[in-house]
Amino acid sequence: MSVFATLLGMWAVTYAARLAGLSLGRVQLSAFWLAFLRFVPISVFAALIVPDVVGSADWPQQVLACAVAALLLWRTRSLAWGIVGGFAVYWLLRQVT
Amino acid sequence: MTVAAPFRVSFLSGFRAIVPLWLGVAPFAVAYAVTAKASGLSLFETQWMSLTVFAGASQFAAAGLFGQGAAPISIVVTTAVLNVRHLLYGLSLAQKVPMTLGQRLLAAQFLTDEAYGMAVSAPGLNLAFLLGAELSLYTVWNVFTLLGSLLGALVPDPEKLGVGIVFPLAFLGLLIPQLVGRVPMIVAALSGLLAWGLSRVLPGGVVVLATGVLGALAGAWLSTRRNRA
Repeated sequence: MSVFATLLGMWAVTYAARLAGLSLGRVQLSAFWLAFLRFVPISVFAALIVPDVVGSADWPQQVLACAVAALLLWRTRSLAWGIVGGFAVYWLLRQVT
Repeated sequence: MTVAAPFRVSFLSGFRAIVPLWLGVAPFAVAYAVTAKASGLSLFETQWMSLTVFAGASQFAAAGLFGQGAAPISIVVTTAVLNVRHLLYGLSLAQKVPMTLGQRLLAAQFLTDEAYGMAVSAPGLNLAFLLGAELSLYTVWNVFTLLGSLLGALVPDPEKLGVGIVFPLAFLGLLIPQLVGRVPMIVAALSGLLAWGLSRVLPGGVVVLATGVLGALAGAWLSTRRNRA
């Protein structure tokens, strides 16, 4: 499958989820499945972060940068500050190590 | 009896409701474009993804997976897993806004976390407001994807600059605000550990899928069990 076909597949599955929800407005999901949908982003984001950082060649620098970014994000609630702060720490660490 | 606001007025107030979020979305779109470039996607592919898929986190994930040379099917499945939450937004919105089939087909294309969040809490919510909020985000996301691609063309060697770190940083930015209360923190910690363990034996796309489902099941079980107790 080419890159473009993959992109079409991504579009199809995303659009399907959006349209299905809007079209099934009267269906009542059980509390369990509502909670499941609510926790999907949390588990997926954790799964995207941890192996990427811990499995990298320069993981000590990356872990430290992520720790600083997490602290900034926690305090400022600003995506921009988290990315800029974490990137600054990472970049500085790359200069000295 | 209240007179319904004209379409244009509601659309514009929806559009304006999202404007404060532009500050957060614009750098994210630039970061997406730069990392997509680093992963070997062309300017057209990068923009096409923003125009069609239009879902920030999954676009980041896909760019990362393309960079790792992941199988196409695992990229599509990861996208589906990441975006299945839109089902919840649609279910919730459809109960508040009556829509014809044509209107649903249109509104579905531009639905996002942010538009849903703004729309669902708006006092004057109607279809025009929803579309205004949706297209506000669509505009800024696509304009800054393009700017990021063009700026990215000036970046000589993404590997040397270490831009890969922007993936975990951006996901942290999406994850941290959701960690309110004990169960979300437990789910995040469990999922992180599980993903770490699985990543030693399985390819990246499968790790995200398996962890995504198992972590969310654990969260659903923990939270509904607690409610019953």
